[in-house]
Amino acid sequence: MNTITQTNPTLAEKGQSLWDRAWYKFKRDKMGILGLIIVGFFLILAAGVWLGLWGGNWSDTTDDLWQGPSWEHWFGTNVIGQDVLARVLYGTKVAFEVGLVVTILSTLLGAILGALAGFFSGTWVDAVVLWMMGVLDSIPFYLFVAAVAFALKGNPYAMHIAMISTFWTTTARIIRGEVIKLKSQEFVEAARSIGVKQAVIIFRHILPNTTHILLVQATITFVAAIKTEVILSFLGLGVKDGISWGLLISESTQDILAGHFNNFIAASSFLFLLVIGFNMFSDALQDALDPKKVS
Amino acid sequence: MDILKFALRKLIGGIPLILGVTFISFLLMVYFGPDKTYELLGKNPTAEEIAEVRHELGYDQPFFKRYAHYLKEMVTLDFGHSEATGEKVSSILKRTMPISLLVILPGFILGNVIAIILGLVAAWYRGTWVDKTIMVGSVIGMSISFLVVIIAFQILFSSSYGLGWFPVRGWEVHDIPSYLYYVTVPTLATIFVALGYNTRFYRAVLVEEMNKDHVRTARAFGASPQSIMIKGVLKNAMVPIITRIMFSIPLVVVSGSLLIESYFGIPGIGKVTFDAITGGDQPILKAIVGLTAALFVVVLIATDILYRVFDPRVELK
Repeated sequence: MNTITQTNPTLAEKGQSLWDRAWYKFKRDKMGILGLIIVGFFLILAAGVWLGLWGGNWSDTTDDLWQGPSWEHWFGTNVIGQDVLARVLYGTKVAFEVGLVVTILSTLLGAILGALAGFFSGTWVDAVVLWMMGVLDSIPFYLFVAAVAFALKGNPYAMHIAMISTFWTTTARIIRGEVIKLKSQEFVEAARSIGVKQAVIIFRHILPNTTHILLVQATITFVAAIKTEVILSFLGLGVKDGISWGLLISESTQDILAGHFNNFIAASSFLFLLVIGFNMFSDALQDALDPKKVS
Repeated sequence: MDILKFALRKLIGGIPLILGVTFISFLLMVYFGPDKTYELLGKNPTAEEIAEVRHELGYDQPFFKRYAHYLKEMVTLDFGHSEATGEKVSSILKRTMPISLLVILPGFILGNVIAIILGLVAAWYRGTWVDKTIMVGSVIGMSISFLVVIIAFQILFSSSYGLGWFPVRGWEVHDIPSYLYYVTVPTLATIFVALGYNTRFYRAVLVEEMNKDHVRTARAFGASPQSIMIKGVLKNAMVPIITRIMFSIPLVVVSGSLLIESYFGIPGIGKVTFDAITGGDQPILKAIVGLTAALFVVVLIATDILYRVFDPRVELK
């Protein structure tokens, strides 16, 4: 967005850049603000675990087994007397770790490869990137994760790597389309005519103009990563060390047979709240940033 | 004839895709995959015994020779025998494929049909409380994990804590009533999960079509809502709708049934895949990856032909 504010100082003074307008629009979206508050709340929960304020005792057996909810144990205790709340809080940290790592790296990868494919559309670069996207999209995802886990010999980051190497394709497709549109615009032509290098044109002039799309896409990727972690951990392909929401739900399938719902209720409600918060935030962001979005 | 020629050309165009998928799966699952040598050997094997087993497994051959061998298995549909049960992979697939289709099809079809109907209703009443209710419902639906839906529906419909009307696990289907008995809860879970995402997508597509001039003209001439929505809007929005439905087929067949079948204990292809993943049964995994890639190419071709059916302006190039 630098280009707009620099070439149109009057617009910037009036506070009319895309970001100002988006923020103005976003502020008026009640659902979006609510979503942001929910996400912020979970971020604080995760940061607290990270700083060691709470959730550190997730693996200690603190009390009798199968207690109901009480002031001491908000979500009760589990089959061996561990505090379910501490475990769910620790799972929040894991969820954010997975979400952030996967989102940042896959968005970066998608932005770079998508921009290259779009800028060189019709050439062999484009063909190779499109082929890679086609191939990755047609491998069944769970099998791909299993295969990556095999190949990495039980590396704890196999799940992350598998998600990153498949999630970038969606972002790349969108960015490719946008870059194809942008590259024929005048500012690109102007940059070319004064002899700016190709790499600079792609990454300094064109790609920054897709930031708003990347941001929206990143929120969607984050939700996908959290939801996928749960299913992968349940299948035994996900989080290996520690505890996560997916592992808690997986544990809970045994508990339910015995009539105990502590784990299931705690983990699934945390998961649901964070995901719906993110979805609401993502929707509002899309409304504010994407002029084409149908609302 | 045109369509046949077109399909053939597309099929050839799909070869790089299949090569890519098989190459990646070969690289990850076979070349860097688990070494089976010592599982087949007794205690304290001699160097000759090790070499013999490695030769049997093909480990001593060069990379591309092994890849070519895998491709040959793909083309001849002969994937060898399952390492877990010793059954032929092709006969396992033949046995489990129909079961998977029976489990997944009702949910898949209903999930799309209901979502299109909800999308049409929401688009027609755009901006009113009807639309808002449907949209809030779909965001909630989108936010609940598939796994949680399956577990919650089992508690609700199949356990003694809920209604207890349907079985928790199993698949003993001989006739229609027993089919309905086992298929209902998996189908409800599939529909529930599909509805959130599908409804949102279809509504967006339909709303976009409704903003076009021809719809305004039809309204001005006083056409009925049903005729506007179905003839004017739905039919014109078929291209993105078909794209979405067609491209979800390969994923639904493998990934969708994987969770459902392993959770409900249904002996379909998803359960076989799940067991193969957890047990590292390579012949089965190779077969499923290869076949899914082939299915993707077929879907790509079928989608292009379907475009033509719904929009005669589309040329088959």
